[in-house]
Amino acid sequence: MDLSFYIQLLLNGIVIGVIYALVAMGLSLIFGVLEIVNFAHGEFYMLGAMLAYFLSMNVGLGYWPTVLVVTAVAVALGYVLYEALLGSLRAQSFERSILLTLGLSMVLQNGAVFLFTTTPRMMQTPYSYRNIILGDVRVSVMRLFALGLGLLAFGALYLILYRTRVGRAMRGAAQNREAALMVGIDPRAVSRLAVAIGIGLSGLAGAALAPVYAVHPLMGFSFVFKAFAIIIIGGLGNISGAALAAVALGILESVAGGFLPLVMADALAFIAMIVILLLRPQGLFGRGVRV
Amino acid sequence: MGKRRLIIAGAAVVALAFSVLARAQEGPIMIGSSIPLTGGVATFGQHSRWGSELAVAEANARGGVLGRKLEIDFQDNRCNPAEAVKSVTQMLAEKKYVAILDGLCSSVVLAIMPLVERAGVPLVVANASATSIAERSGVGGNKWTFKVNPTDASMLDALIGWLDKDGKANNIAFLGEDTDFGRAGSTGLENALKKRNLKLATVDFFQKGAPDFTPVFTKIKAKKPALLALYAVDADFQNAMRQWYSLGGGIPLTGRVLVDQVPREIMDSGFLDGTTSVQPYDPSVDTPGNRAFVEAFKKLHNVPPILVSFEAYEATKVLIDAIRRAGSTNPAAVRDALVTTKLPSILGTVIEFDDHNLAHNNAIILTIKGGKVVVVGMSKT
Repeated sequence: MDLSFYIQLLLNGIVIGVIYALVAMGLSLIFGVLEIVNFAHGEFYMLGAMLAYFLSMNVGLGYWPTVLVVTAVAVALGYVLYEALLGSLRAQSFERSILLTLGLSMVLQNGAVFLFTTTPRMMQTPYSYRNIILGDVRVSVMRLFALGLGLLAFGALYLILYRTRVGRAMRGAAQNREAALMVGIDPRAVSRLAVAIGIGLSGLAGAALAPVYAVHPLMGFSFVFKAFAIIIIGGLGNISGAALAAVALGILESVAGGFLPLVMADALAFIAMIVILLLRPQGLFGRGVRV
Repeated sequence: MGKRRLIIAGAAVVALAFSVLARAQEGPIMIGSSIPLTGGVATFGQHSRWGSELAVAEANARGGVLGRKLEIDFQDNRCNPAEAVKSVTQMLAEKKYVAILDGLCSSVVLAIMPLVERAGVPLVVANASATSIAERSGVGGNKWTFKVNPTDASMLDALIGWLDKDGKANNIAFLGEDTDFGRAGSTGLENALKKRNLKLATVDFFQKGAPDFTPVFTKIKAKKPALLALYAVDADFQNAMRQWYSLGGGIPLTGRVLVDQVPREIMDSGFLDGTTSVQPYDPSVDTPGNRAFVEAFKKLHNVPPILVSFEAYEATKVLIDAIRRAGSTNPAAVRDALVTTKLPSILGTVIEFDDHNLAHNNAIILTIKGGKVVVVGMSKT
């Protein structure tokens, strides 16, 4: 095996890892602030991809405006989701939140099957079949765009959480809801914003990946379960931990996939999750303090 | 007085039974079908349904069978054997279906075969390609299962024979979904190669629905095989095609490549030139029967048929023909009629079942040249 083989595996792994991170960060944020495991998260990713496909292929919108519109719609959907469903959940109603988000996932998935059928669709952009080629190493332009959007989303989320008042309020509410309330933070407003950003991130992931992967109603399933493993490995509710764990897992899967049978490489996320749960239940980057 | 009442009541019961029987005789002949209408291969389920519906519509337009209309009750199995067992068990318990049609996925068919055998109802398999279905049917096995489409083993033997003529059967890598379909593909290739003292260069399986193939494609490219046998369908196939293209490919594909579903941009670019595939069907086969079928199908659905639509169409026609020849909707009579089937296929051959209740229609060898699919030969399976 020559050097380009290893570089190709590493590059594939970084891109896949950032794609995982795009999905996992929103899931982690919502859990961090609301303590709700959003089982419907993959379906918002799917809806983002479906909307991106519609805007691009039926309305004729360009790739970048499509990404912006889909993200904005997903943020708005997050607000509606919080006000209509999640806002009514209390801290003690963990089981209810699981049933509610699982039910929502089924409704959204089957609704999409009913409306759009299960036929896989490929979103075309002017860059869909363009590749960056450096010697024997190749990567598609659309994957690089997804990588850039993922890094941008992580940077923006980091700045919001650590450099703004609203971000501090979110972190405060995540660490101690009662204490945050006592110092004047409105937990409801903070939670609403966290859900909006979380769903916005999954919508962004859908739009960014619609030209990379086939768009169909069941596409959310494969990513969301891996995202669950990632947020457990990174530390539940820890955004930076989730992002780092996602990239590490992407690289690990890719490098292992270059040598091991693919089915074994696929199991790595869950093997890592079990090992982490046994050795360090709070996750690799968990310090008992969320977000 | 009591005796008179008893006679009247008895007469009423007999009259009611006759009227129910008469109504059943007047109603449509019911065929049960358990196929994936949702789930990962629902596109194939949709095409299977369209193929069967066209065959039924043609028969009904000619006045039906035995003076009655035909109707198929399609139930969803999501390509999941457990779901299929549930729906087929329920259908068999209702005792109103003359036969069960298809199942689509190999794992599903293998799961429902014992059910139809116990119930004594024929199962006509249209799409599932696992070789083990035929191996377990007919002589010394399940006498109620009939497989209209060729097995993977027979198609792959035809393909390897074709490739071997040009010395291309050496050094083939295999990548397939981890299902009965993918496993049958790898076993079929291995057996066909073994006959010629050859073997697969590498074998890899992926979980159905896994979206990213870049690591395994990087690995396969590095091993530099002469051909890559790809066993993927639906969204997996679309993802694989785009990622194979982005990684530069450089190795022609083989196996049962769904050449009619390759994205147009990739096909037109000539990227897949040199690919050689074997399929039970291609819409471009130039026979009068196929031309009429493609035209009728397109008129109804605005898309050309795919191999699944063709197989469901022909399998349904085989079943309708058997009901007609049986002269009865009795499942045992229909099974006996199936055994003696001799029905012209739209591919120009005659569909007949062997001792293992397996029909041997033509396998079609396709290649891609200059970004176009070309039928290069047909080989009896």
